[in-house]
Amino acid sequence: MTNLYLFVRRYLTVLLVFATLVSFAQQTVSGKVTGADDGSGIPGVNILEKGTVNGTVSDAGGNYRINVGANATLVFSFVGYASQEVSVGSQNSISVSLEPDVTSLSEVVVVGYGTVKMSDATGAVAAVRSEDFNGGVISSPEQLIQGKTAGVQITSTSGAPGAGVNLRIRGTSSIRSNNNPLFVVDGVPLAGGDTPAAANVGYGSSQDSNPLNFLNPSDIESMSILKDASATAIYGSRGANGVVLITTKSGKGQKGTLEFASSLSVASAAKRFDLLNASEFLDGVTQFGGDRVAQNFGAQTDWQDYILRTSISNKQNLSYSKSFKTGSLRASFGYEDQQGIVKNSSLQRLTGRINGNKSFLDNKLKFDLASTFSNVKREDPAIGNAGFQGDLLGAAYSANPTWPTDPDFNTGGQRSPANMLAYYRSTGSNNRLLNNLSATYKITGALSAKATYGLDYSVAETNTVASGKAINGGNGVQGFGQAQLNENRSLNNLVELTLNYNKTVGKVQIDAVGGYSFQSFNNRSFFASGRGFTDFVNFDNMQTELRNSYEAGNSAAEGNFSGTINNWGISNDLRSGAQTSGGFVSGYDAGSGAFSQQYFARPAGVSLAAVGANFFNTTDFLQSYFGRSNFTISGKYLITATLRVDGSSKFGSNNRYGVFPSGAFAWKMHDEDFMPELFSTFKLRAGFGLVGNQDGLGYGEFIRRDRYANANVGDARQIDVPGVATQGSVNPTLKWEQTSQFSAGIDFGILGDKLSGSLDYYVKNTTDLLLRANAAQPAVATQIFTNLDATVENKGWELALSYSAIDKPDASLTFSGNVSHNTNLLKDFGGALDAGTINGQGLSLAYAQRLAGGYPLFSYHLREFQGFDATGQPIGDNQTFVGKSALPTWNMGFSINARYKAFDLATYFSGQFGQYIYNNTANAFFTAGSINNARNVTRNVLTAGEAGSAEAAVSTRFLEKGDFLRMQNFTIGYNVPMKGQNFIKKLRFYGNGQNLFLITSYTGLDPEVSSAPASFDLLNGLPTAGIDYAAYPRPRTFTIGLNATF
Amino acid sequence: MEMKNNNKTKNRLIAPFLIFAFLLNSCSLDIDETDSLITKGESGVFNGVPNPAGSLSNIYNDITGQAGDQAGLYALTEVSTDELLVPTRGTDWGDNGIWRTVHVHTFGPTHNFVTQVWNDKNGAVLRCTEVIDPLSNATVAQVAEAKFARAYNMWIVMDFWGQVPFRNPKDGPDVTPSVLTRQEAYTLIVQDLTDAIVGLPAGVPAATNKLRPVKATARLLLAKVKLNSIVYNGAYGSTDLDDVISLVTSIEGEGYGLVGGNYFNLFKGPTYTNIDVIWNVSAGAGNRMWNSLHYNQSHPDNTGGGWNGFSTLAEFYDKFQGPAASNSIGGGQEERRGYTHTLATTNATNLGFGFGFQFGQMYGMSGVAPVALKDRTGKPLIFTKEFAESGLIGNNETTGARLLKYSPANGGFTEGVVMARFADAHLMRAEAILRKGNAGSALIEVNKLRALRANTPPLASLNEAAMLDERGRELYTEGWRRNDMIRFGVFKAARQFKPAGDGHTDIFPIPASAILSNPGLNQNPGY
Repeated sequence: MTNLYLFVRRYLTVLLVFATLVSFAQQTVSGKVTGADDGSGIPGVNILEKGTVNGTVSDAGGNYRINVGANATLVFSFVGYASQEVSVGSQNSISVSLEPDVTSLSEVVVVGYGTVKMSDATGAVAAVRSEDFNGGVISSPEQLIQGKTAGVQITSTSGAPGAGVNLRIRGTSSIRSNNNPLFVVDGVPLAGGDTPAAANVGYGSSQDSNPLNFLNPSDIESMSILKDASATAIYGSRGANGVVLITTKSGKGQKGTLEFASSLSVASAAKRFDLLNASEFLDGVTQFGGDRVAQNFGAQTDWQDYILRTSISNKQNLSYSKSFKTGSLRASFGYEDQQGIVKNSSLQRLTGRINGNKSFLDNKLKFDLASTFSNVKREDPAIGNAGFQGDLLGAAYSANPTWPTDPDFNTGGQRSPANMLAYYRSTGSNNRLLNNLSATYKITGALSAKATYGLDYSVAETNTVASGKAINGGNGVQGFGQAQLNENRSLNNLVELTLNYNKTVGKVQIDAVGGYSFQSFNNRSFFASGRGFTDFVNFDNMQTELRNSYEAGNSAAEGNFSGTINNWGISNDLRSGAQTSGGFVSGYDAGSGAFSQQYFARPAGVSLAAVGANFFNTTDFLQSYFGRSNFTISGKYLITATLRVDGSSKFGSNNRYGVFPSGAFAWKMHDEDFMPELFSTFKLRAGFGLVGNQDGLGYGEFIRRDRYANANVGDARQIDVPGVATQGSVNPTLKWEQTSQFSAGIDFGILGDKLSGSLDYYVKNTTDLLLRANAAQPAVATQIFTNLDATVENKGWELALSYSAIDKPDASLTFSGNVSHNTNLLKDFGGALDAGTINGQGLSLAYAQRLAGGYPLFSYHLREFQGFDATGQPIGDNQTFVGKSALPTWNMGFSINARYKAFDLATYFSGQFGQYIYNNTANAFFTAGSINNARNVTRNVLTAGEAGSAEAAVSTRFLEKGDFLRMQNFTIGYNVPMKGQNFIKKLRFYGNGQNLFLITSYTGLDPEVSSAPASFDLLNGLPTAGIDYAAYPRPRTFTIGLNATF
Repeated sequence: MEMKNNNKTKNRLIAPFLIFAFLLNSCSLDIDETDSLITKGESGVFNGVPNPAGSLSNIYNDITGQAGDQAGLYALTEVSTDELLVPTRGTDWGDNGIWRTVHVHTFGPTHNFVTQVWNDKNGAVLRCTEVIDPLSNATVAQVAEAKFARAYNMWIVMDFWGQVPFRNPKDGPDVTPSVLTRQEAYTLIVQDLTDAIVGLPAGVPAATNKLRPVKATARLLLAKVKLNSIVYNGAYGSTDLDDVISLVTSIEGEGYGLVGGNYFNLFKGPTYTNIDVIWNVSAGAGNRMWNSLHYNQSHPDNTGGGWNGFSTLAEFYDKFQGPAASNSIGGGQEERRGYTHTLATTNATNLGFGFGFQFGQMYGMSGVAPVALKDRTGKPLIFTKEFAESGLIGNNETTGARLLKYSPANGGFTEGVVMARFADAHLMRAEAILRKGNAGSALIEVNKLRALRANTPPLASLNEAAMLDERGRELYTEGWRRNDMIRFGVFKAARQFKPAGDGHTDIFPIPASAILSNPGLNQNPGY
């Protein structure tokens, strides 16, 4: 201790003396650095004496002081601002005002575990900042950047509020798993936290909601998209589908600013089907030999009108932002109420967010906190996967237009949309807290350490209720009622430690980061279902009765069992058990390894005829070591090397750890003498890397686990007392799906970056594809997860261009666009698996796609439709590959941004080309067989020449080109000129239109669609794409809004 | 000043130390038993099933679930025969041809039902083997129940495919299961059943349902296996037919026997106390009724009505005695052919639902009044015995007679499907006697059963064809028809809407996915 103290004292003394000596020969300059945008001081600006290593940084107020040699030039640089050089001359005081940097190539982008100047990036990285985000009604952050970046295909699965979004970066590489990228919010990789989908109470289950719904789009500062393996390798096993980094806004400006934003939107369906009206329908029935008198129920109902509405949505945001001497703070509060254009669909989001940071010890120690709390409430109508019967939309398309809209009208067999709207309710609520607390300590000027703790906790609940007045719903519902309560609690904990090292040694600038990360993902969930309600009509009473019966049943079950409970059930009709009525509870004792099942008497508080509950509690872990080094040599040669080692609890010990390396190189050729002056920017990039994917792989699949099979309440309010069933399949050889990617590109700018852009080429190969395949029987599980010996290849190119035609203080005009081409191919696969589940009456087990080697994923395998024969029967009954796929080969986005004095205008077009859509809606509903069965159809069916007795088998008759070009977004704004020191500093009014027009030859409602069947309905566990089965109609939305800054 | 510098230095050193301490002390990545017990580790070591009773419950629940389904096992055993046809009706029941191909025997290795039953039954065999394994420490009674279940499941695999893959519980997923020949599997099944007979309880169970096997259940299955020995082994062994006779006599000795009175009451759940039913499952009988009835035939428990699919063939109807043109109630037809209601006999109790063969005008209730039903386009709902020209496609809603062994007259979703009856055992014994060359004695046995059925006069003579027809009349839609037709050599024969075949369809194709996963399996001839 003493020795150390003496050593340090001596060392420091020498250093101080040396520094003092050096300073004697120099001139002192001081001043203040401010931002041209708000005039406040900017802390942390790098001030460097040009050509030397002598430099300093500005303090919290933007003030600086530096000693410089004679004839010095100072370079002021700070992320997000254009660098400025000032010749010192004899000045002792130099204050500068830095202009915010808006040219894309000098932007600073967030990459994993750090930031990089766009001009220094070696990988394929794109960033979209808040000022470029799409406007209007945005329910999920991905929609903010739809069409904005090359090679990124963003498709809403439907027009429902809060619907899922499919985001594909450089094609589709997995055959089974979720192909969405990894989302990282302020450094916390997200996992799960979705609201449970509506349960099946006779109407099918709904699609999962979007997991990013919890974020208020207004809180987002920027989104970075890491596209190639050299950029995503820092996320190793989760980087295969690309990574989207979301950075939220933080406090800015010395004077506190209060911002208020408010908008009001009106939406209606952009397109409807051309269905027969009442008299045309009766004529149609007659044409096909039906009895028009028997089918005439007297009313004239437009069922599309009946279920659709003009929806009104509003959004309010309030935020306060301020930077202090040693920190900054931003707090925001947002409320949004989105109505869907189908009745009974809505999304309400309440969010609160605090971002703050505070420095101590002369800025050596800095704490950052980013915290979001959100409550998202949803209501969904009976829309989703209802198999052959169809959902609310299907019911509306095929409903007899002479039926009255009385919900209690009994159609005699078909489902009435009025009955479905009135007697089904699904509501969900999700409370979510996302917290990220970090401490950064600057150990030396070059070395800093950072510790991060991230917490993502969500409690989500969905209540699905079918009233006992539901007619033609599920079996055993009428007169009894059925309801289900699903609850998910997910807790995702992240601990991360990183070391950053920045040093310039001679001509080499080193920027390195290394770290350790441990993340745990706990999911605790249960579902409780009940039938036989005391009051089977009132939704609220039913929901309460299920909750009360669940609570009473649960406490009785817990009282009769010590250990982990898998399930319990209470019914007057227990089957296959040791008792025929009352309650049972099943579970195990982890200590002794014993399973047991206990019986108990029906508890007093259980008023339902039958109630059962099943419990799940799983935790997965991911432990990682990672490092990345950037070397910049002579300012123009850039080398990046990245390595991540991930260990996952989803694999057996032999394959638990995966190693994911990457390397990339960039050359700023514009700094070379031989490059013509024309190029203000010309940078070559090339990189290669390996990344992994473990998504879609369930819990504990490599090991064999046992638990009691689910206790389900049956149609007759009975419960089959469950036995012990095997869960995992023993596959210790299971390993990561692996994607290797080669990527090369050019970033260029000419005429001072007036025209700038980038061109990229990539080849991606995904191997060891995770698939749930049939096991070699006899096997404990019918299907086991395996790594398929095949390769999915995606290759393509991307071009992004931006042209600043006018750039003047009171006028500007920018055109930007991107286009990308991708080809997808499955190689080296010997088998053939049916996929592309088709639904509808008479279409059970029908499929439209097949997975086979030599074809792209989602390739259609259909009967070639050759018209109808003389008797009206379709010709052709042999399914073959038809050479078409659901994957688009071309994606494009185009935008124009203009500003003239106080007015601004922005418009956006997006398009996808080359993909084919299977019109399952027409296949299931709009055929002669439907009108022959007295179901309503579109007008064209009457003249198609099809016999009423014809089978509507899957065929190319329903396959259509999906090419489209959409005017996605149009905004016009007016900034009220503010003079002097007004209370209001900025005020802007705007109008926005979304989905204003669509150019397509597709005859369905919208070609941008993907109806995902329930997971148990997926043939061979393979996902579908490009199939349109009664998709939620896409709205056309008009918004007016104002933004005010105080 | 000096102290402060010292502290800073310490901090500089502490931070990296902390980080390295974390790196070295990395966490375990083993999952916890918070959701399920880990019963077999990565090493593949099998330590026995932790709870044999729970595993057995699951094995029998699976049999129940599969028996309640209209697809899979039921479709393969019935729709492939002369008893049932699922015609495509306009847009309904096309289902990519899955039903049509079963009836016309054009099913291939990717047929969904073939794959489904293969996976279901083979998986069940392994789960039974695990319970039987001494490491599971199952009781004698549990082992006997597991052996019965293994024999039942393996018999279906052996009977359907002629090859039986077998896996030892200790084998990891990298071990390819061995493949037993039909004869090897036959020997194992006979051994399992012989063992099960020893360990299972005697007599008729006291419980109201017969969900678990007793000695009689195992004897019935053993008799079934031995009676089919000619199919599996090419010829009967010297004692096979005598074994069939003595096994059935032993079943009788346990207290089971033929039951007269109302034939359709034998299939009326939810309890099965009569001594004819030897084995039943608790699955609901809903699928068996509603898959056949029209959309507009509804019931308070099933307001959506039927699904209008499964139908029977006129040539099967013609095997029964009674008027050909109508099966109306009181027409003097033999009891087992059932009846349809008239407007006069439709009431709030029967709701217009009859039993057995349903064709002609259908009736139902409109409030409290009986009415003649209409189809979806408003025309009278009159089922015809005949189909559209091709039989398979181009049908309207009303073609084809419907066959109701279970009827909504007894409840919309009554519990309980009968798996095995003494009447079957009785007819097997008669068949064994016939096959031993004693047609006279066999005829007496057959007529004993017929005497219990109303309007069913004794047969004058008996040969193999008459024996098969009698089994059809007594046991239709009980899951035996395919097996019977193969044994009598007529499964391949031409019948309505199915041309004659070369016999290769007596054995189903090995599923394509199974061949991919196990090189020891060879595709059956003809596929």
